Order: sequence, then C-alpha cells, then structure tokens
Amino acid sequence: MKSFLYILMGGWFLCSPILSHASLIQEKECSECHRVSKDDTEKSGPDLFYSGNKFQASWLKQYLQNPITIRSAGSTGDPDFLKGIQANSQKHPAVSKKDAEQITKELMALTLYDLPEEVNLLEPLTKGLKAKIKYQFERTFSCISCHQSLNLAGKVRGGISGPSLVNAGNRLQARWAASWLKSPKTFSNKSRMPVYKMEDEERLQLTQFLMTMKNENKR
Amino acid sequence: MKKSSPKFILNYCIFLIALGITGCGEKTSEKTPAPKPPLKAESHSPAPLAEATQEPVVVTEKTRKTYQWYCAQCHGIQGKGDGINAKFLTVPPRNHTKAKYLETRTDEQFFEAIKFGGLSVGRAPCMPAWGNTLSDSTIHELVRYIRELCQCEAL
Ligand code: HEC
Ligand code: HEC
Ligand code: HEC
Repeated sequence: MKSFLYILMGGWFLCSPILSHASLIQEKECSECHRVSKDDTEKSGPDLFYSGNKFQASWLKQYLQNPITIRSAGSTGDPDFLKGIQANSQKHPAVSKKDAEQITKELMALTLYDLPEEVNLLEPLTKGLKAKIKYQFERTFSCISCHQSLNLAGKVRGGISGPSLVNAGNRLQARWAASWLKSPKTFSNKSRMPVYKMEDEERLQLTQFLMTMKNENKR
Repeated sequence: MKKSSPKFILNYCIFLIALGITGCGEKTSEKTPAPKPPLKAESHSPAPLAEATQEPVVVTEKTRKTYQWYCAQCHGIQGKGDGINAKFLTVPPRNHTKAKYLETRTDEQFFEAIKFGGLSVGRAPCMPAWGNTLSDSTIHELVRYIRELCQCEAL
C-alpha cells in the first residue's frame, strides 16, 4: 500500500511540471511555422519569440480567432516570397475564444528583453508635425514603397513586401516599434528592410505617427 | 525643440517646398524634379569610386544574393523592374536589363542612387537609401552587377 502511494506521488511529481507547462502553443504545433524560441531554426512564418515585446494583447486575442492578412506577399522567410504568389492564400489556422485567451497569455510571456522606456511615445502629434512625418514616411525614407499604410485621407496606399502598417496602432507596442526602427537587427538578423539612421527625436515621432494608423481611421 | 539646428530648418523648408508633391504610394503622376533630399552630413562628400589603386570590383555569388534579398522586392528577381512592390509605386522601379536608359547614367550616379536613395540623383524617392545597410564595397559590386544585367556601360 505504502509503495503504491510512493508510485502515485512519484508519478505526480514527474508529471506536474509537464502538466503546468502544457502549452497550447506546443499542442497546436504553432512552431511548425513560427520560431517560438530564439534558438529555433528558420521557419516560413514570422517570428513569435518576442511576441510579448511586440504585440498588443487585445490584438493578438482577436487575430488568433479571426486571422487577417498582414503580409499579402507572404512572409519574408517564405521561399515563394519574391514570386508574388500569395504565399499565405492558405488561411491561417484559427482557434476558439478560450484557446485564443490562453495562447495570448503564453505569447505575451515570450520576451527578448526589457525594451527601453522612451519618452513621448504616447503623446499625440500636433497637426504640423504629423504632416512633416507623413512627408518623411512617404518621401525621405520611402517607407510607403514597402508598407501599406493610411494616407491623410484615410485611404490604403503602399507596397506589400513589408507587413501592412494600416493597423499598426492597434497591433504593435509603441516601444517595440521604436526599437525596431532603431535596430531591426536586434530582432531579426535577416531583415529585408533598409537600416535607417535617424535622430532619436525623429525616430520617436515616426513611431508616434505609426501608432496613429488604425483600422478605424480607414475610409 | 532642443538644439533647433540649421538642419532642422533646412528639413522644414524642403518639407514646405515639397508639400504639394505626393509620395511614392500615391497614384498621381509625379514628374516634378525632386529637391535634394535632407540627407545626413556625410552625404555631401562625393561618392568614393573604385580607383585604379584599389582592387577591381568583382560580382560574386554574394552580390547576386544581396540583390535578391534587398533589391528584388522592387526590381524583380531578374531585375526587370517587376518586383512585388512595383505595381504599388508611383514611379516604376528601374528595369535593370534595359541598356538604352542605363547607358546614359554613370556608375557614380548608380552608386549615389543606391547609397543615398533616388532623390539624391534627381530620381524618385521610391528608391530608398541603402547606405546604412550595405557597405560601400557591396554597393560598388551592385553597380557592377547592374552593368552585367543590362550588358551595358556608361557612354
Ligand atoms: C501553416 C503555417 C502556420 C501555422 C501552423 C501557424 N501559423 Fe501563425 N502565421 C503563419 C504565417 C504565414 C503568418 C503571416 C500571415 C500574414 O502576415 O498575413 C502567421 C502570422 C501569425 C501571427 C501574426 C504575427 C505577425 O507578426 O504579424 C501570429 C500571432 C500567429 N501567426 C500565431 C500563431 C499561433 C499561435 C499558431 C498556433 C495556434 C500559429 N500561428 C500557427 C503561418 C502559420
Ligand atoms: C525596402 C522595403 C522596406 C522599406 C523601404 C521599409 N520597410 Fe519596414 N519592413 C520591411 C520588411 C520586409 C519588413 C518585415 C521584416 C523584415 O524582413 O525585415 C519590415 C518590417 C517593419 C516593421 C515591423 C512590422 C511587423 O509587423 O513586423 C515596422 C514597424 C516597419 N517595417 C516600419 C518601417 C518604417 C517606419 C519605414 C520607413 C522609415 C520602413 N519600414 C521602410 C520592408 C521595408
Ligand atoms: C522600395 C522599392 C525599391 C527597392 C527595394 C530598391 N529600389 Fe532601386 N529603384 C526603385 C525605383 C522606384 C527606381 C526608379 C526611380 C526613378 O526612375 O525615378 C529605382 C531606381 C534604381 C536605380 C537607377 C537610378 C537611376 O539613375 O535612374 C538603381 C541603380 C537602383 N534602383 C538600384 C537598386 C539596388 C542596387 C537596390 C538594392 C540594394 C534597389 N535599387 C532597391 C525602387 C527600389
């Protein structure tokens, strides 16, 4: 009887770490297409191992239940990327509301490191500044050549090799966007985006501008 | 505004002049001669071209890969100007296989366009600047590679 108890307890000890770590990300085989750890090999879909730095939880929860196209030419790591075949014409797997909540929690726990707290990010831009940054976005830096975004009239414009920024303000964390603009290499050593050297002030304003782009401003 | 430098004022003026001009993603015809872009100070020195004393520039497998990785997004896999972004740009990406136009441009102009962007050589801003991404020697190789694609030299 006693030994039976030991076996029972031993089994419980052995299993409990697995049980409490039982992750839906693993169960659903998300890592077939996504790197969920920095050390994973290259995958065809976008990296998720810094999700907790990058996404807004509310957006994730929504996306996982109701995936929409963000990269209409596919993900940059996809071998068919340059061919312009809509590599992800195949629908993204969707999950239930309950699973989406759980997965969001798990994804938000994946962080690379604490991103610097940068000032000003959430202050609204003045009208004049907004026009100036829009000009930089479209001409000086030509971000629009590779990214769909909203023009001042709320119309969708721009290239498709980069992820759509139309809903950036609801999708991305401002601090992450600012950090990406400072050095994409922190997150991806194989980025197709040009590296920009801007003054910090310029970079933060550009980030504020990105954060004004939201689906609800689309016309 | 801390240290509101001349550069800021310059930027601002250029911005005012160009206010009426639309950006790359707008479908309106845009053939206004572009103002010199507000580039960083370093851009004012002329592009150092490979001189006789330097190693000759050779196109390697790495050069081709670099072109595929960055440039093909717009210029296309074969350099024909038909990359995935092409149909969304106001000004089409240059077809790098057409000698007729490319002959009229010098290697220095190519170098500047790649390093500092289209605006720096009076071309459209849809051609971004790659000077912070690629080294000068890589850019020299890309210039050579484009000459290979068009099978042409500057006249
Ligand atoms: C068959 C491959 C595949 C599987 C399996 C898959 N994904 Fe994806 N996922 C993709 C691709 C491709 C994209 C890019 C879609 C786009 O940008 O339009 C993507 C996008 C995402 C995004 C948005 C990322 C971003 O940067 O925009 C999240 C979040 C995500 N997937 C989570 C998951 C989760 C969680 C699972 C498991 C339940 C999963 N994915 C399973 C291929 C996959
Ligand atoms: C030559 C094309 C190109 C240009 C120009 C470009 N980007 Fe990107 N950008 C990309 C690509 C491609 C990605 C996806 C990741 C990768 O491969 O680098 C990306 C990723 C991003 C991301 C992260 C989005 C996400 O969901 O992962 C942001 C934010 C961004 N770019 C903003 C900008 C801004 C702002 C500018 C102008 C200052 C700009 N980009 C100019 C191609 C470009
Ligand atoms: C975001 C799209 C885009 C990307 C990425 C891009 N280009 Fe361009 N490029 C253009 C456009 C558009 C033009 C045409 C500009 C014009 O005719 O006014 C152009 C023109 C050029 C020219 C001709 C300039 C001239 O004198 O007329 C060269 C050379 C060139 N690109 C090289 C490159 C190289 C090398 C790369 C990769 C490092 C590259 N481009 C990446 C869009 C792009």
